[in-house]
Amino acid sequence: MSEKQQHIIAIDMRGQVCPACLLVAMDSMNKNRNALQNGSARLCITTDNREAITTIPSTARNMGYSTRVMKKASFYEICIGIISPEGVEP
Amino acid sequence: MITGNLFFLYAANFILGLMAGFFMHRSDYCVAGMFRDIFLFRRATMLRFLFLQIIVTMVFFELARRAGLLSLYPFPLLGPPTLTALAGGFLFGIGMVLAGGCVVGTLYRIGAGNVLSIVALVGILAGSALYAEMHPWWSRLAKNAILTRDAITLPQLLGLSPTILIGLITVPAILLFLHWRRRNLWRRSSVADGYIQPGQTALVLAGISLLSYLLNGMPIGVTTTYAKMAAMIEHIIAPDHVDHSAYFSARSLDIIHPDSGAHLAGSGGPYLDTIWAIQFPVIAGIVLGSLLSALHLRELTLRTRLPSRQYAMVLAGGLLLGLASRMASGCNIWHLMGGLPILALQSLLFLAGLLPGCWLGSSILARALSQRPLSSMSAP
Repeated sequence: MSEKQQHIIAIDMRGQVCPACLLVAMDSMNKNRNALQNGSARLCITTDNREAITTIPSTARNMGYSTRVMKKASFYEICIGIISPEGVEP
Repeated sequence: MITGNLFFLYAANFILGLMAGFFMHRSDYCVAGMFRDIFLFRRATMLRFLFLQIIVTMVFFELARRAGLLSLYPFPLLGPPTLTALAGGFLFGIGMVLAGGCVVGTLYRIGAGNVLSIVALVGILAGSALYAEMHPWWSRLAKNAILTRDAITLPQLLGLSPTILIGLITVPAILLFLHWRRRNLWRRSSVADGYIQPGQTALVLAGISLLSYLLNGMPIGVTTTYAKMAAMIEHIIAPDHVDHSAYFSARSLDIIHPDSGAHLAGSGGPYLDTIWAIQFPVIAGIVLGSLLSALHLRELTLRTRLPSRQYAMVLAGGLLLGLASRMASGCNIWHLMGGLPILALQSLLFLAGLLPGCWLGSSILARALSQRPLSSMSAP
């Protein structure tokens, strides 16, 4: 399945207390393991937590996923799953 | 203190605060997170940097002492070791984990626009005011729980020169740091814009602690001024109550600096005294330094639509932080970045209480955050 056809599991964690972002990301990776592993979905988390930008991708990589972090306006988007690090054309 | 000139104190401490706020925001140098992550994620990545900071500060302070630059040694406001510091440390540990940041972490997050941290600060001020109500019996308890009146620091207790003891601690620590360097553990790879390696921030903060000690006669502290702010607000509502409060009217600092002859005097009351002149500019500087960093990176955000559970949790955490910093006669910044580097017994007790407090706080936090998430499925 190409990245364009993937379902997006979107989670907005902006403004939330530390380390809710990482806990929710881990929880969501576990709950959606099948969809993320067979490439039918990708997990995209928006966050303004600078620490989460470091810890979430490394945790996801340890779980065997590829990750992509992009800065969007005043926040970041972390995508997790079977994805290319560079991203897809919109 | 090198001068009694208040304007100079305001300006110099403001610059120290600005630097601290800027660097802490860039590295997300969160002391609460460093301790919490050991218990929550079995990860000590960031705590390593705090360890580096404490050891470097220890070396800085000892070199300055040997050079005769620290005529106030141990520094003022450090009392004899009492078990109440242990209890205060314990509550502080719970509080900082629940508040999502310590008394300084809260400040740099406010600078970046984090609304929950503003709520945590409200809790800290409320906790400080609450402490004033329990001060009479708590201070009696603190006096009764004093372990020894003969020593403020561990070298004094053991009858050893600080240099010997500090050498015994810092030499193995530096060897450990070199070992970590060989394993490339100092470098964190982050794609966050403008990220500053936390190791660099640790060194900058050690430098700031030294400058504060040289300039003010004591290392960085902020929480007495939180009590002062709480007293100022309470004074508007109940002036008589504040005027008759044992805590707000007790003078905790009243000495003449041996080098400059400057009079250092202050209390937790609603007065613009020396403690205010030292601490308030640091508080304002940290918020502004972080704000400037966030504005420069275009990362300033203000979000209020957050789970109500989190609002309640950070408020409770802040309340505990405010209470505990007074119960332990200082916060984590004061004890870990100031007291521990001179091996103050009170600070060692604070740390011994802080660790189990963080453990308990982490398990409460994990439970509180487990019943959420705000997720949604969307088609591409």
